[in-house]
Amino acid sequence: MKVENKYLQPLTIEEALTMAAHSENDFRFLAGGTDVMVNRFQENENSSCLIDLSGIDELKQVKKERDYLSIGALITLNNLKEYREITSEFPVLIEAADAVGSPLIRKSATLGGNILCENRCIFYNQSAWWRNAVGFCLKCEGNICIATGSKKHCYSEFVSDIAPALISMDALIDIVDKDGERRIKLEDLYTGDGVRPRNMSKTCIVKSILLRLNQRFISVFNKLRQRESIEFTSLTAVVTTNKHGKIKIVLGGVDPRPVVVEGTSANDSEELIKQAIKKSRAIDNEMFSRNYRREMAGVFLKRSFDEIFSGAVTNNS
Amino acid sequence: MNVIELQVNTRNYTLLVDAHETLADVLREKIGLTGTKIGCEQGSCGACTVLLNNMPVLSCVTPVMRCRNARIITIEGVAQNGELHLLQQKFVEKGAIQCGFCTPGMVLTSLHFIQENPDATIDEIKKALSGNLCRCTGYKKIIDAVIATIHQESKTENEKATQFSASGKIGVGHPYIEATKKVQGIAEYADDIRIKNVLYCKFLRSQFPHAIIEQIDTSAARQLEGVKYVLTGHELPEKFGVLPISQDETALAIDKVRYVGEIVAAVAAETEEIAQAACRLIKVEYRPLKPFFEIDESLNDIGTHEKIHFHTKYNNNIHKKAELRFGNQEDGLQEAAYRSRMSFEFKGVSHAFTEPHAAVAYWDENGLTLTTATQVPHYLHRALAKVLKLPLSRVRVIKPYVGGGFGGKSDPFPHEIIVSWLAMKTGRPVKIRFSREEVFLSNHGRHPTKMTLEMGADQNGLLKVLDAEIAIDGGAYGSFGVVTSYYNGVLLQAPYAIKNFGFRTFRVYTNKPQSGAMRGHGAVNSRFATESLIDDLAYQMNMDPCELRLKNFMPSNTLTIGQYRITSNGSGDSLKKVMEQSQWEMRYGKLPFGHGLGVACGFFISGSALPIIRNELPQSVVHLKVDFDGRVLISSGASDIGQGSDTMLAIIVAEVLGISIDNVFVLAADTLLTPVDLGSYSSRVTFMAGNAAKTAAENLRTEIVRAVAKAKDVSADELNFSAGRVFTHDKEVDVTWLEAIDIATASRGALTVSGKYISPKLGGDFKGAGAGLSPSYSFGAVVAEVMVNTQTGEVKVQNIWGAHDCGKAINPLAVEGQLEGSWHMGMGQAMSEQLKYFNGLILNSNFLDYKIPTSIDTPAIHTNIIETDDPEGPFGAKECGEGALHPVIPAIANAIFDAVRVRVTKLPIDAEDILHHIKTESLSFVKAVMN
Repeated sequence: MKVENKYLQPLTIEEALTMAAHSENDFRFLAGGTDVMVNRFQENENSSCLIDLSGIDELKQVKKERDYLSIGALITLNNLKEYREITSEFPVLIEAADAVGSPLIRKSATLGGNILCENRCIFYNQSAWWRNAVGFCLKCEGNICIATGSKKHCYSEFVSDIAPALISMDALIDIVDKDGERRIKLEDLYTGDGVRPRNMSKTCIVKSILLRLNQRFISVFNKLRQRESIEFTSLTAVVTTNKHGKIKIVLGGVDPRPVVVEGTSANDSEELIKQAIKKSRAIDNEMFSRNYRREMAGVFLKRSFDEIFSGAVTNNS
Repeated sequence: MNVIELQVNTRNYTLLVDAHETLADVLREKIGLTGTKIGCEQGSCGACTVLLNNMPVLSCVTPVMRCRNARIITIEGVAQNGELHLLQQKFVEKGAIQCGFCTPGMVLTSLHFIQENPDATIDEIKKALSGNLCRCTGYKKIIDAVIATIHQESKTENEKATQFSASGKIGVGHPYIEATKKVQGIAEYADDIRIKNVLYCKFLRSQFPHAIIEQIDTSAARQLEGVKYVLTGHELPEKFGVLPISQDETALAIDKVRYVGEIVAAVAAETEEIAQAACRLIKVEYRPLKPFFEIDESLNDIGTHEKIHFHTKYNNNIHKKAELRFGNQEDGLQEAAYRSRMSFEFKGVSHAFTEPHAAVAYWDENGLTLTTATQVPHYLHRALAKVLKLPLSRVRVIKPYVGGGFGGKSDPFPHEIIVSWLAMKTGRPVKIRFSREEVFLSNHGRHPTKMTLEMGADQNGLLKVLDAEIAIDGGAYGSFGVVTSYYNGVLLQAPYAIKNFGFRTFRVYTNKPQSGAMRGHGAVNSRFATESLIDDLAYQMNMDPCELRLKNFMPSNTLTIGQYRITSNGSGDSLKKVMEQSQWEMRYGKLPFGHGLGVACGFFISGSALPIIRNELPQSVVHLKVDFDGRVLISSGASDIGQGSDTMLAIIVAEVLGISIDNVFVLAADTLLTPVDLGSYSSRVTFMAGNAAKTAAENLRTEIVRAVAKAKDVSADELNFSAGRVFTHDKEVDVTWLEAIDIATASRGALTVSGKYISPKLGGDFKGAGAGLSPSYSFGAVVAEVMVNTQTGEVKVQNIWGAHDCGKAINPLAVEGQLEGSWHMGMGQAMSEQLKYFNGLILNSNFLDYKIPTSIDTPAIHTNIIETDDPEGPFGAKECGEGALHPVIPAIANAIFDAVRVRVTKLPIDAEDILHHIKTESLSFVKAVMN
């Protein structure tokens, strides 16, 4: 017997968590919906209950919290640029947001939704009919990875363009569930397991993203894609330095989680780049080959270092 | 189910909806506002864009429950009280609308954008529109429309422009006659048609590429409540195919399946959901056979394995071998001081029209009526009669507005036959609409191709020889493949005069969705190879590649080696035009490493001189009727699929009769009401239907002249038709059109006349001489400018300068649109489009991974119409819808060679490949040093 479809629209976080608690795990939170709705169309997401968070105003605020700027998870990608605090201190966040999907997607898609965007693989992001024809893979309850033949590991790609930019600036996130609120480093959200890429129960809500103010971040953002719009990333590379000389490299699109390498201006940049590429477990599961994406990681990162250290990019804040 | 209230276009609705329905479905199915189009279902194409609380959203991924109490504006709500919004007016005037399927989304996205950005630049507009895909226009005229709106051109100027073109003069740009309908979302496409008591059809498709069907159990599906009919292959055993020589397809698979996606069973049910559920209840037992996916596998002897089709001649999967030779290729090579030989590989590409296939069939006292998104109502008419075993007189095919075709709707399709049969068996109308995935599964796109080409030139740069060895991957069935096989070779016999010319093509069957005809049919890939080799020869002999081409063009009014009759020939003019505009001589070969210019030329038929089905019928007949009201009704079977053929017919008739186009009405593409036209394929419509319309209009004029001359007692040859009047030279007699019609219809009533077009007898007396014969041929040239990133191998096209000899532009606005669309589509094949397979399954059957260039990816396009006045074309016109595609792809590749000395031999162009070559080829080093 088919369960009745439900669509719930809480107005507070409290209400949303209660609704989730009453939905027996057969639910999904919905922010902008641009990712979830496509996954539903392809029947990779089949929850009978959708809990739409877009009516919760407390998730749409930008405010200063001591040394941090707290950015509400429900702010749309298109709206981030409306906040001067963001454009002035964290311009790479705007650049990353602008690289997501298409202008139409960005008007619905949210910051929180993007960092929670489901991992992708060309053998997974297909209709149920297609996956049935090929044989279901590890990520959809099958027992083999179509891309590699592995029976254990799923290497679906982490494709958020924004998370790498945020992580490069040591972003924190506030997560709430019925047990309360906790603050973690954004990079700790990701497991590296393509099947369950985030170590956050689905009953949790990402409330806000926090970035430390006055760090004089200098960042370079690059995204590899075949077309200038619409595309998910094939490789997102961000390099950020701060006023203390810390360097952080983050790669997306080449591993089930963001690849992070940290160093200081004292380190040999070539060495840091090598480390980042070495950590990337890219496989052939999209339109660009694994080798090319790894090679481009090197090119993008080198270019980023050159731009940062030549003074071509600055932070005017 | 939930009750929600929402406001759409200022009207309030209270609706019962499923909790998970999308806004797009509710707008279309519950409210009936079908102007909102569904092109991809996944938020990738933008056709479904509507304004939600004044913000553009993709309604196909917007849950309707989110729109509770919201204000929604759909395309139907943009015009106010029957008056178009300025933006809509500009879309109409600037020719921004072709098939019209992306238009609603484009208009709404642009509308919001210009409200927010009243001073936007071109780059900002391009960016803003980059989530809305258009397959027809190359975006140029859409951007023009947005800019014009922003500039708010003064109203008086507007009115002047509109009045000028309203008369419908030959050579004056005129918006499509249906453009105002399309820009308001009123035009009905196949899936927009609402018929009461309709059943919905869904298919069970094969998940095996090659397998024997051992058993099909449909019992559970039949028992499902709401299911009205379950159909399997044996009920429709008659074979069909667009060509009489390859009737190799059945409506549903019988006993075996030949590709993943082939229809195995069909269900008609009360709702789409029930039909879908029933399909899932059908149990099929398959016995898998060895599948054949690659050309090479299918060319070879297959041993003890089972062939894809039993009817092929030998123990392989070769469908067709085509070979023609003229002169002597060996001698030619001997004479050649310079030779070039290269092998190429081309991935398959698909038409990717924005409107998915859809059809609705019903049966009544007149027999079968099928309304369907087709380019070929006539061939479909015949196929339906054949497969359903109906008299021809009991079949009616209606083409509604069609959201693009490009060859992808030019075969009779299984789904069209199936819904017709189901309507007959159930006594109810039956409707089908494809998902985007199903569109890709049906394919019929450009053949994946491998070829080796050899050319040679003498010391003076005269081309001496061309020899081509070609293999094309036809997929599971024949489609147009026999024609494609020939076109790959024969269409290389011009625009260059090459005496020693020969080719051999093999078309093979493989276990993939079938390939067929796609814009530029047959010769796109081999043209790429030819133009690449010419570029290489020029490089070898250190000659400017434009100069080499100019030396070798054949003249006007000549015969090619294969006895094509060339009449007007604008090759030289086209090439000189793009050379001049691109500052070729100043810039070619002189740009820094990574930056390059490339050139190529093209050649295409202007309508196939031979009908597909050999018979004595004219290729096109047009009827005109004029009654007491003075309005001329054009009846034509020609199929406007967005290319503007209805408007072309109207302009021609208005011109001949000297009346305003407002007095002309077009009734087209209904096989009950309109005389036969063979269809929109082979770039034949302007030439053939246009000529038929011209003849018909001349015949009507003769009738009117006769009546007026008699009534006014003047000589017939003194009467002129112009500006809505009929008059003698001395104005002694000077009557209005309506007065002339009063005279002509007195005591007789409505006048009806007919005009026809039949190709002249053409061609040589040898087997294969008919392939590529056309009453006229088009020519063209493109210069492309690229930037190659030498660190990543990424290529960006910066400029496309194109020129195309269309004989005479009857409607320059439409001609430009066709050229720009062709260049854009060619650029897609060059840069990003391909069908990728995994075990016979298409890996990228969606608009995210099948990569049509967006507005940002599309460079500045510089459009030039070259006019050469064809002696037989209507008012001198010939084709412009396909041939322009040919030169753009090799021009881009040759520009890459100029930029980084890398020769592209695979399409699409792959950054990884380019980078690899930049790194390894010493030539690049030489140029780098020189720079």
